[in-house]
Amino acid sequence: MRRRRLVLTVALAAALLAAGLALASCGGDDEATATTETTEPTTTTVTDPATTTTTTTAPPPAPSPTQLRVRVVGGAPQGGIARESVDRGDRVVVHVTSDVSDHVHVHGYDHFADVGPGMPARIRFRATIPGRFVIELEDRHAQIAELTVTP
Amino acid sequence: MTVVAHGIGGVRDLPVPESFFFTTAAIVLVVSFVALGALWRRPLLERHADGRLLPRAFQTMLLSRALRILLGAISVGLLVLVLSTAFFGTSLELLNFAPTFVFVAFWLGLPLLSVLFGDVWRVLSPWRAIADATVWAIERTGRVAEPLLEPTQRFGRYPAALALFAFVALELAHPRPAYPRTLGVAAALYTYWALAGMSVFGRDTWTRRGEGFAVAFELLSRIAPFAVRDGSIVVRWPLTGLAGADRVPGTLVFVGVLLGSTSFDGFSRSTVWQNLLADVRTSMAGEPQWAIDLATTLTNVAGLASFVGAVVVTYLGAVTATRRLVRAPRSLVPDFVLPLVPIAFAYLVAHYFSLFVIQGQFLYSLASDPFGRGWDLFGTVDFAPNLTLVSPETVWYVQVGALVVGHVAGLAIAHDRAVALFESRSDALRSQYPMLALMVLYTVGGLWVLSQG
Repeated sequence: MRRRRLVLTVALAAALLAAGLALASCGGDDEATATTETTEPTTTTVTDPATTTTTTTAPPPAPSPTQLRVRVVGGAPQGGIARESVDRGDRVVVHVTSDVSDHVHVHGYDHFADVGPGMPARIRFRATIPGRFVIELEDRHAQIAELTVTP
Repeated sequence: MTVVAHGIGGVRDLPVPESFFFTTAAIVLVVSFVALGALWRRPLLERHADGRLLPRAFQTMLLSRALRILLGAISVGLLVLVLSTAFFGTSLELLNFAPTFVFVAFWLGLPLLSVLFGDVWRVLSPWRAIADATVWAIERTGRVAEPLLEPTQRFGRYPAALALFAFVALELAHPRPAYPRTLGVAAALYTYWALAGMSVFGRDTWTRRGEGFAVAFELLSRIAPFAVRDGSIVVRWPLTGLAGADRVPGTLVFVGVLLGSTSFDGFSRSTVWQNLLADVRTSMAGEPQWAIDLATTLTNVAGLASFVGAVVVTYLGAVTATRRLVRAPRSLVPDFVLPLVPIAFAYLVAHYFSLFVIQGQFLYSLASDPFGRGWDLFGTVDFAPNLTLVSPETVWYVQVGALVVGHVAGLAIAHDRAVALFESRSDALRSQYPMLALMVLYTVGGLWVLSQG
């Protein structure tokens, strides 16, 4: 019987812990939304006026596309893997400059573009599929960027 | 849909949101502790393991020689198709039949079939079919087909663990696992491993000990409500096949490879690991490509091996603690390995559900043009896969649902084993504390990997 009571106490303790965790998770949620908000300004700082003018073929009221820039030196991305997060439906432009010849591949969307010295790659598309997508140099199978599309 | 980390597909699920993570972790904890007190007191699983026979009509149809020959012929045909598309088809991963078939249809489809219908690999394995046909042909000429060596149980499941590790290393550590020629060489090597092993040690011995896929699918099939016993099919409670101890050496390491590789697959696609690999590349800028590839492969193999090692070490820690707590006279290592099998399956579902559903659709068009030469055999080559078939929310629910169900199943089997092993109820309960901690660790750890950005 004593054993039974011990188990009940432990179960009760676990339930309390669970309630605590559930509460913590609500807090965690708010935090998560807060961080996504703070990342938005960084998105705009990346925007380069030179390229936004070239992409005005879309209807004027649409927000300007998110620019994802990677500079590849010796087959590796300068400053580490570039990461960008956009909402589903946003337009995205991936710019890659590279001192080596290769193919840029946006996985999932399966867009390809050649890149090489003096030949930057630019891939434009609308982010219609949610998920996290690897962008890599196809021949070197080296990841250079990751695009997150939130639903 | 080419390479990177997982064998195929450079697409990851969105991380499980924090709210899912905490809620599920909470459920896991509560369920675990409540189960401890509330579960049955006498072993239940083994009693129901016998099951009951399927109706005779089904038996004769499902176990018929004709069906086995038909299935064997189809699977050998598929093996030949995989080898020939891999070697002679297009070298583009996207347009070749072999990568998607091997990494999606085979490696993800067969665990599912095994869990639903039992050990179907026994009749679907092309290598087994080739061996059976060879034995049949030899015996028809009046000779006796005998393995070259006496069948030995000495090596336990270590050869199978090695074979499976080689496969997951190709899938997760190789820079370009889905490259058709690489895959062709791997499939040819594995075919050699399977056939040579069977001829040296005998069909049955090698199927149970050395052929990594056969061992994996057989272990998973013990979850299934169907089994073959004494030549007839029985229906039984699910999971009852996992009752009891498994004393074959190497089983722990094998299960460790299964669990560790899936979690490493998740982890290797996290920001931490991606950045590490990028750093390795940056530090080697200017080196030849093969050197860079070798360095990233070795880094990945080291990561993979440490995940496998972590599973084995934590398990050994838990059973050692259990042994101390109940002062058991012998090692308990063989007694609590099987509860890890449903957790391993839960990991597979959680990590590969979306890949299976999304990437599997490509097979429809690939079937029409397996070599990537512009054929259209079945008129399906223009089929456009629906890449948004499952919403991120659905994926999250499936992921956490699988982990919770796998956890509860593992818990129930371990509990059943404990009440079978220990006469005193307090010993049975006490023995469960370390196991419980271990499973909570695996489940919450698996959940954590899924929630990583």
